[in-house]
Amino acid sequence: GALLGCHRSYRSRPTHGIGKFKYLLPKEAPKKRKDKVQMKEINAGTEYVYGDVNIQMTSYDLCLVEHFAQYVHKLCNRLSIRVNESYAMPTKTNEVLFLEERGSKMQLDAVLTTHQRVVQISGLSSTFAPILLEIIQSNQPEGVHLLVKQHTEADFKSRLKSRPELEELLAQMS
Amino acid sequence: SAAARRPWKLFGAMCLLRLPRITQPLEKEEEEMAALMGQIELEKSHYSDHEIRKLEEEERLKRRKESLYDEDEAPGKTVVMAQDLEDKWEQKFLQFKAAPRITDADKSNDRTSLNRKLDSNLMLLVKQKIGTQELWLLPQVEWQPGETLRSTAERAMATVLGDHIQAKVLGNAPYGIYKYKFPRAIRTEDNMGAKVFFFKAFLQSKDLSQAELKADYLWVTKKELGDYLKLEYLKKVNRFLLD
Repeated sequence: GALLGCHRSYRSRPTHGIGKFKYLLPKEAPKKRKDKVQMKEINAGTEYVYGDVNIQMTSYDLCLVEHFAQYVHKLCNRLSIRVNESYAMPTKTNEVLFLEERGSKMQLDAVLTTHQRVVQISGLSSTFAPILLEIIQSNQPEGVHLLVKQHTEADFKSRLKSRPELEELLAQMS
Repeated sequence: SAAARRPWKLFGAMCLLRLPRITQPLEKEEEEMAALMGQIELEKSHYSDHEIRKLEEEERLKRRKESLYDEDEAPGKTVVMAQDLEDKWEQKFLQFKAAPRITDADKSNDRTSLNRKLDSNLMLLVKQKIGTQELWLLPQVEWQPGETLRSTAERAMATVLGDHIQAKVLGNAPYGIYKYKFPRAIRTEDNMGAKVFFFKAFLQSKDLSQAELKADYLWVTKKELGDYLKLEYLKKVNRFLLD
């Protein structure tokens, strides 16, 4: 008897589609593939506000670097610093070969992977920047290299892959 | 009276920090947590390539021992077994000796050396003459008009340690201020007292063998500051020191 009182919002009922709201929102233009975002803020003057700053962390140990990047991200959230992006650079694999010459030449291989994580920040005031840097420096785990620098176009380009066919065609055209 | 020349003398002081070189030892709860997480991870994880290879080779050995046929195992190849590799790595690891965490300077409690207390921040304290007393404080030098406070602090560091130190000052803003009035005997209309502005710098180079000039310097941690500094000064200095 209790189920008869349940009025599902079925298609024949007047309450059909009661929760819809997407028709009320403004229409979004479909996203283009090309993202050529270049933002540079005020850097000089009495009001020192840094533009985009990249905090790059590199290490051989994946878990450490990831956890540290997460920690830095959460720290910036807590301190209400705007984090633009937090991405990873492709890992580099190095093969270490030992050539020991003790009569018989031995080659011991070791495969090392270098991982890099980048947290991009904007809107850092210069009075606060040294404090933030000191906090990050003192909380660095062992084996993680820290690099803080301003975002340049070269950094942005290093994330994109080069397209050799496109470049060949462009060279042929011009 | 709104005088254009303020009656306070300005000083710039530099707090030179040596960052810790080793992480601090984990607390008991942290260690237990780390062990628990390690075990959970181990139980949840899959086998790696090396472990799969090792298991396969162990199975192969077992099969060879039980039944004497070879089943094209490629017997001509000298296969490097995974177990051999592991033994080699074990031996290498045993040969490796890590540097000691508690150095000689720790044991002898030699406060002038930089090798003490590798897991905490060390600060430079210098004995300087203020008025008639000789006091322990952070190196300070009087401000000259036309100079920024940050360069005053850098000059203070240079006078104590010489020009060849590699220390990095991060920002132009001071970290703290200590204000004191001169005792009534010296106080005049123009010279009420002094304000000391503190700046922080991080030591980049590993050792300062060339640099040490004037005597009476110490490298102390935050907890040991209380042994040397006066109470009011200590209060203001502690406000900007991270542990």
